[in-house]
Amino acid sequence: MRKHLCFLLWLCLAVCQLHAQTKSATGTVTDEKGTPLPAVTITALTSDRKVISTTVTDINGVFKLSLSENAKTLQFTYIGLEEQFLPIGGRSSFAITMKTGSKNLSEVVVVGYGSQRKSEVTGSVASVKGAAIAETPVQSFEASLAGRSSGVQITVPSGIVNEPPVFRVRGTNSISLSSYPLVIIDGVPSFTGDYTSGNASANPLSSVNPNDIESIDIAKDAAATAIYGSRASNGVVFITTKKGKAGRAKVTYDGWAGWNKAYGIPKMLNADQYIQFKTMAVANNPSLTGASAISFKYAKNADSSNVNTNWADYVYRTGFSHSHNVNVSGGNDATTYYLSTGYTTQEGLVRKNDFKRINILANIDTRLNKAISLGGKASYSNEQNLSAGSSGSLNGEAYNTGALTRLTQVLPSILAPYNPNGSYNINGSAAGSSNITGISSLSYPNPIPIIDLSRSNNEVNHIQSNVYLQVKPLSWITLKTLYGIDYLLIDNDVFLNPVNGDGYTPNGTATATSNKNKTWLWTNTAQFDYTFGEKHNFSLLVGNEQQRRTSATWGIQRQGVSDPNYNVIQAGFTVNNPANNSKGENYLLSNFGRLNYNFDKKYFLAGTLRRDEYSALGQKAGIFYGASAGWEIAQENFWKSVKLDHVFSSFRIRGSYGKVGNINGIGDFSPYNQYYSGLYGGAATLSYALGTVGNSNLKWETSKQTDIGINFGVLNDRITGQVAYYNNNVDGLILYVNQAPSAGLPTVYYAGPPLNVGSMYNRGLELNLNATPVQNKDFTWNTGFNLTINNNKVTGLADGLPSIQTATSSLETVNLTKPGYALGYLWVIRTAGVDAGTGKRIFVNSAGQKVYYQYYAPSGQFNYSTTPDGLTKYVSPSGGTTITQAADAVMYRNPLPKYVGGWSNTFNYKGFTLDVLLTYQAGFYVYYGTNSGLHDQRFWNNATDILTDAWTDKGQTGKKYARPVFNDNVSNGSAMPMDMNIFKGDFIKLRTISLSYNLPSAIVQRVKLSSARVYVSGQNLGIISGYPGPDPEVASNGNTTSGQGVDRNTTPNARTITVGLNVGF
Amino acid sequence: MKMRKNKYILLSLATVLLIASSCKRQLLNPLPQTSVADLNVFSSAARIQAQVLSLYGAMKIGNFYGGRYVIYGDIKADNFINETSNLVTGSDVWAGNPTNSATAVVNLWQYAYLTINTCNLFIDGMDSIGTSVVGASLGKNYIAEAKFVRAMSYYALLQYYTLPYGNGAQKGLPLRLSGIKVSGQSNLARSPVTDVYTQIIADLNDAEAGLPASYSSAYNNTTRAHVNTAIALKTRVFLSMGRYDSVIAAANRIVSTAAPFTATQNVAFALQTDVTKVYGTATTTENVLSMPMTSTTGDNPGTQNQLGYYFGATSKNGGVGNGEYSLNAKGVIADSSWKSQTDKRRSFIFTGGGKKWLNKYTAPSPYTDYVPVIRYPEVLLSLAEAIARTTNSIDTRAVALLNAVRNRSDASTTFTPASFTTVTDLTNAILEERNIEFLGEGLRNNDLMRLQLTIPTKGSAPAKGPGDVGYIWPISAVELSLNTLCTDN
Repeated sequence: MRKHLCFLLWLCLAVCQLHAQTKSATGTVTDEKGTPLPAVTITALTSDRKVISTTVTDINGVFKLSLSENAKTLQFTYIGLEEQFLPIGGRSSFAITMKTGSKNLSEVVVVGYGSQRKSEVTGSVASVKGAAIAETPVQSFEASLAGRSSGVQITVPSGIVNEPPVFRVRGTNSISLSSYPLVIIDGVPSFTGDYTSGNASANPLSSVNPNDIESIDIAKDAAATAIYGSRASNGVVFITTKKGKAGRAKVTYDGWAGWNKAYGIPKMLNADQYIQFKTMAVANNPSLTGASAISFKYAKNADSSNVNTNWADYVYRTGFSHSHNVNVSGGNDATTYYLSTGYTTQEGLVRKNDFKRINILANIDTRLNKAISLGGKASYSNEQNLSAGSSGSLNGEAYNTGALTRLTQVLPSILAPYNPNGSYNINGSAAGSSNITGISSLSYPNPIPIIDLSRSNNEVNHIQSNVYLQVKPLSWITLKTLYGIDYLLIDNDVFLNPVNGDGYTPNGTATATSNKNKTWLWTNTAQFDYTFGEKHNFSLLVGNEQQRRTSATWGIQRQGVSDPNYNVIQAGFTVNNPANNSKGENYLLSNFGRLNYNFDKKYFLAGTLRRDEYSALGQKAGIFYGASAGWEIAQENFWKSVKLDHVFSSFRIRGSYGKVGNINGIGDFSPYNQYYSGLYGGAATLSYALGTVGNSNLKWETSKQTDIGINFGVLNDRITGQVAYYNNNVDGLILYVNQAPSAGLPTVYYAGPPLNVGSMYNRGLELNLNATPVQNKDFTWNTGFNLTINNNKVTGLADGLPSIQTATSSLETVNLTKPGYALGYLWVIRTAGVDAGTGKRIFVNSAGQKVYYQYYAPSGQFNYSTTPDGLTKYVSPSGGTTITQAADAVMYRNPLPKYVGGWSNTFNYKGFTLDVLLTYQAGFYVYYGTNSGLHDQRFWNNATDILTDAWTDKGQTGKKYARPVFNDNVSNGSAMPMDMNIFKGDFIKLRTISLSYNLPSAIVQRVKLSSARVYVSGQNLGIISGYPGPDPEVASNGNTTSGQGVDRNTTPNARTITVGLNVGF
Repeated sequence: MKMRKNKYILLSLATVLLIASSCKRQLLNPLPQTSVADLNVFSSAARIQAQVLSLYGAMKIGNFYGGRYVIYGDIKADNFINETSNLVTGSDVWAGNPTNSATAVVNLWQYAYLTINTCNLFIDGMDSIGTSVVGASLGKNYIAEAKFVRAMSYYALLQYYTLPYGNGAQKGLPLRLSGIKVSGQSNLARSPVTDVYTQIIADLNDAEAGLPASYSSAYNNTTRAHVNTAIALKTRVFLSMGRYDSVIAAANRIVSTAAPFTATQNVAFALQTDVTKVYGTATTTENVLSMPMTSTTGDNPGTQNQLGYYFGATSKNGGVGNGEYSLNAKGVIADSSWKSQTDKRRSFIFTGGGKKWLNKYTAPSPYTDYVPVIRYPEVLLSLAEAIARTTNSIDTRAVALLNAVRNRSDASTTFTPASFTTVTDLTNAILEERNIEFLGEGLRNNDLMRLQLTIPTKGSAPAKGPGDVGYIWPISAVELSLNTLCTDN
């Protein structure tokens, strides 16, 4: 491949010839308002569209171009404006006005190693303008992509700041590896996921200031993504940051301030209700008498009133956030620059959960002469992600006893937060509970010392930079070399206080880890754009790329503070241990090519080929491809002859097929069986038991993708639309396949050796409609609606592996992956309500038989019985005497949304703009695990609906919760997940509503500004959903592919109001 | 113009050359820097030596001999009361009703087989390369150590998952004797109990033949196997098999004929004068085999696996543990013949919070006390029992052996043949002495099992007789689901 590339380059250069020049053309180019346009490209063409010469306009919009005899046409191009062709005739002077083009003709999309006119793209690409997301109060841009494009699902997992959203393009395409799309920022692949090790999450993409984004292009089908070969099966997202625009330096300030608050916090029993209710529950449990008796007393405040604590008041707050950005953009016809800096502080709704970012972005592009241009960008971002401790919301945290959100629900309202003397109400590692008799320790801490004294912070320094050199030896040849780096440097700083909570037993624990992830990338491409005989348009790209990533983490954990005031890692501690040490590296070596051809902009063909070699695989090399075709029927005469062109301004059929791969998340040394170092009484060991099982044949996951679609424009593109059907068949899915334990393979890091065994598909339909229903002098209404229907099904796992369980925070398993079902299907025990006569929970066993459960079984009765009276011992079909998840759970509901989309509207009236974005997801179910905790009959506090919805008296029918029996953790779902806690997740959200006002230019100019705009906006202001929890848009297991649809102790989402100002100088 | 064109050609060519020369193909085959790929683990003597220690390291893991295996031996039996009802810390083991998917059932199985496979891979590797690297003599020693560890591991599994040897049970264990490091080896049926014991004895014979007579330090003599360690283990295995003649034959090679009883060849095993000095980090000649611990993470039992954590009282009650199991007031501590005033072993019983606790293990978190796996008094008492049973008489040497153990801790009690009226009295006294001497050292369950005795009722837990469900554990649910040839008990 490399040889071919070399030969091609040489060939292109060798045939290069210059034409004789005899005359010249001069002129000026302006926009529709008459402003001179610099940097417009003017190209002289022969009658068969061969390029003769080319130039660009200067800062005054003036150009001069030498012409040869055979020059027939001048072509004027400028990104974002409609391309124009002017016959030269006998003229030598020209005055041209460039118009804002109709969208389809002028827009370009980034397609990987270059860009293409949207009208010529035959793959499936969605584009979002940077302006649409610039001013939203989010930490990273992708959180605001929800509902903006078909085929894209964004789920914000919780109200914790800077947690990466669940991001899927056309469904979930992997099981063990990542399903996050590949994100390319200005040509360099970015890190995605969360690389931190504490309780404050950090999304690497939050380093990109949303204000600096020019455009986001999302490649969805194999035709569009195959240029990224082995990493493309989850889709590719291209982020293009802003560049300078030629002209006088323009300075813009943009700032906003906002307030956010949690919504949907469950209402808990107050002190009176708690004592009354729990006393009744204790009375219902005859085993709690005598020595085991449990009783509750009011705690007293200093003024001798009864303590009545709403723990949520101590954990949540109204967060205040603000953000400021200044950028300078300018340049002349040869050199443009852009410099931007931003500062933001965003407070989350949980106390001490903050995000702070300082960032700077600078780029410069310069053209040395007609043939050589070069440039680069440097971006630096410093982020501080702060939190006091676990919230219970991040992946793996759901059951942390110190999880702040969980504590607001578990701790009884009769406990005092502080003692009357002002000290914390604590008892060893737990919250103080001296007014509860019969339970020595509640084992859950008081959240206040955690918030006051503990921290789990991280600081991210993120450097993303690149330089390029571009040579155009001939107008139709572009050679480009680009070198880029992405350095993600993270310092984690965790301290668990010695006073209360998890730090109590070790007398304080400090952990510091330093994590360095570095990427370098070198890309070399050659592009040839050539037109034969006016109508045959070719564009060929060939390239070579190398990407190397290295990672190194080291750290220390220290326990036992030497002085009670110590809280930093550098202080004195009694125990020292290494923590989180690791080192990795990988290398990806690629060659690729892409050929686009169109005939008369009517028939389009494109093909892409990429060969990747990746170090972390056993079989290193793989070949990926994509091919597509398009037919612009509206250009055909027969179409025009039946006058369809009066209705359809454009109508295109397109289709693609290709094969792409996924390697995101494969361990760097997967081909090897690794022995790890350990200790035996202080002496070094080299241990397979501590190691990993490799697979020397490991290869990529492959995704074969078909895409068929129609793009159309109606009424001169006043209405445009796209409809697409896609079918992604993924096979060779890597699963860490459990082997029988007696085989003795190590499972420290993975459940078993990685094998290419699984298969699944995502099939669906996408619809996008954009329209301008009203357009007149003062008022315009633009609207866009999109819908994605996705159907995911797992079709095969490994031999001897009938299903895969995905546990939530390694404790409760609700998601089961099994062939024939969608990934991570909800797997629970069926129930049949509460028995009206006895208040017992009725379970339904595997055979459909009703089983009555009582937590306390009097002598002669049974816990599980086939009769309501408890006298008939339950014996299961397999001989057991209890209901268990293993025996009795059924594949119950699909957690993956079937329908995802959004509806955006922009209303302009004079200077006012109103933006309204609605997003929706439907056709899925959520396991509301929190609900079982909210009705758990241990000392835990309960939601107030327990007062009305629990069975209390004989004959009550239709009650949701069983007769309250103190300590019963089975009947309402804590011990085993059951169907009554699964609810429909369908929702429509008023995601964003924003009203802005552009100050009239007369006023603006009087104060020496070029533009001024003020706005007020709201996020998540409304939600329509039948879901009983705070928010069905939730993901306790974060981005875990097979663990969606679980809401376990998750922090509610935020409702935010912001006001902002945007000023141009 | 010509010049300019050439310039571009040169520039482009230079670029292409740069690309061509820049691909670093060697980066496509990186070797891990924090681990050793299996291709290289037998490449040097140092790596092989480190692997030998990893065999003990695998056995020492908190889920195996470093903690839970030993703990289960006590809590499954009758001397302790569960205080926390926590399934994670074995409340089901205690109550005699662990399920196929219980933490204890799944993990002990897994970690024992992980150790076995590590040994198998090591033996395979030594046979093919390793011995040529370290030389025949050292190679023989190392393979012997691997077989010793493998024997320890199979023996451990037999104590919980299969019926006793004497039961004639057919359902033993999947017997894996060659190393596995690829997928597809899951299916293997259970071999009969007798076959597994036969393999253990074969391994121990090989170990005895191949192990060094001793090491250069007392520490190594306690933490690695030498000839006498293998013989001591044989006495334990033969006793479990009820092969009392073999117990006597083996034990006599490391026990002198008359008091003071010591090993006269190789490492000189002997009772220490003060029983309280053989715990903690002791490496005396009484500590036949112990699992060493340090405070470094990964070199101690780890969370919820530590003997001190289970048996120790909470700090509130004056201990270093978590108060998981208190001493059963109706268990061995109720034995009045175990004198409370004079027997030093009573000093291990500690009262806190109104309950009695065992405080043999006193090092606080991260619990660095060595785990005693075999102590010399076990050999003496096994020998005494075997003599009594084979001679079916109140044998004087048997009594002397018993007396050596009792007298060491309680000078006020001296057993003589006159102390016993029947042979059964003697064997019962020997069993009771084991019960006292090894309280909290994991031998109680094995003693009940080998004699097919009923596990007595304790607290709210019912008694379990040899025919009852729960007398032995079920097979790991994970094994049953992935090894289709394996059947449950």
